[in-house]
Amino acid sequence: MNHIPRIGIGGPVGSGKSMLIERLVPMLAKIGYSISIISNDVISKEDANRMRTNLATKRGLLPENMVIGLATGGCPHTAVREDPSMNLSIIEEMEENHPELDLIIIESGGDNITTTFSPILADYFMYIIDVAGGDKYPRKGGLGIVNCDLLVINKIDLAELVGANLEIMKKDAEKIRKEKPFEFINCKTDQGVKEVMEHIIHDVLFDLSPKSIQAQKV
Amino acid sequence: MININSIIGNIFEDEKLQKKDFEKIRMSRTELEKRILRKQTDIGTDIGINLDTGNHLHNGDIIGNEEIKILVEQTPEKVILIKLKKNSQNLAILLGHIIGNRHRPIGFDGEKILFPIQADSELEVFERLFKEIIGDIELKIGEKIFLPHTSADVHEH
Repeated sequence: MNHIPRIGIGGPVGSGKSMLIERLVPMLAKIGYSISIISNDVISKEDANRMRTNLATKRGLLPENMVIGLATGGCPHTAVREDPSMNLSIIEEMEENHPELDLIIIESGGDNITTTFSPILADYFMYIIDVAGGDKYPRKGGLGIVNCDLLVINKIDLAELVGANLEIMKKDAEKIRKEKPFEFINCKTDQGVKEVMEHIIHDVLFDLSPKSIQAQKV
Repeated sequence: MININSIIGNIFEDEKLQKKDFEKIRMSRTELEKRILRKQTDIGTDIGINLDTGNHLHNGDIIGNEEIKILVEQTPEKVILIKLKKNSQNLAILLGHIIGNRHRPIGFDGEKILFPIQADSELEVFERLFKEIIGDIELKIGEKIFLPHTSADVHEH
């Protein structure tokens, strides 16, 4: 079966996981990439509904049925790590019925700094934190912050207001992640979001053109 | 970028491969678990690994194609090594139970049990967890290529 590359996005509640997806998808869609979103949450499907409205219904960037809300009913990390079977069953259906997809984005429910994605579920894992948690956040470590493929630090426009020193966050992120990348972003203005997209295109999609464009060339 | 879609063999299982000189690609244990990964070799060759679903790399694997062959080298990581001071079934079971309760994978290095940690401060955590059996075991921190026992290759957090 055609394996569609999958990226997982984890991070604490309110760090900007859904907002990052809402900013990334239009940029990727503009290039021509076909995307589906699975948004996990404990009980609510609010984030999925919002993304469907904003990205599909209002802007037509993807079909409405390509934004799927998954209420996992338990600890958010369980559904993306210990037992990813609910997510995997959706993905298997997508791979069978929508081979045109270039990328599947899986959003975890808000969780703590130990969140990771099972490598069976996600090929690439981004962990997003925000400056409002304080500039100590990167150096606190935790598997999510240390092991993710890309650490994203959001809401940098709030740094001054909450007394967070971005230089400290940068130094700590460099120290704790060694050669692994991180990006500062502001989802309200798209600052840094293009860089996040470039990581995805380079590291996950291997700089390949969207399938729709590849098909036209054949 | 050179596309890699299959594993040719493993130097620990194929003597013929041991004698050859390959470009090397260093990966953490977490990276080895991935199916899709883009990295550079020790001499800067850009490699895009895209394996079939369910496959992943192991320390000592040889990957490549007709153009190039690359040796996968796992990077050492921080672990706690435990040695039992006495041969006791109950002690071993209790030890395994406590480590398992922290969702750590385990491996063996001779008679020593080892499991990964992120920071030296975790030694104190485990000394506290092992409080009742601390007199019967030796704990120390080390840097090792950690190979999880296949039946204990669990998620961690």
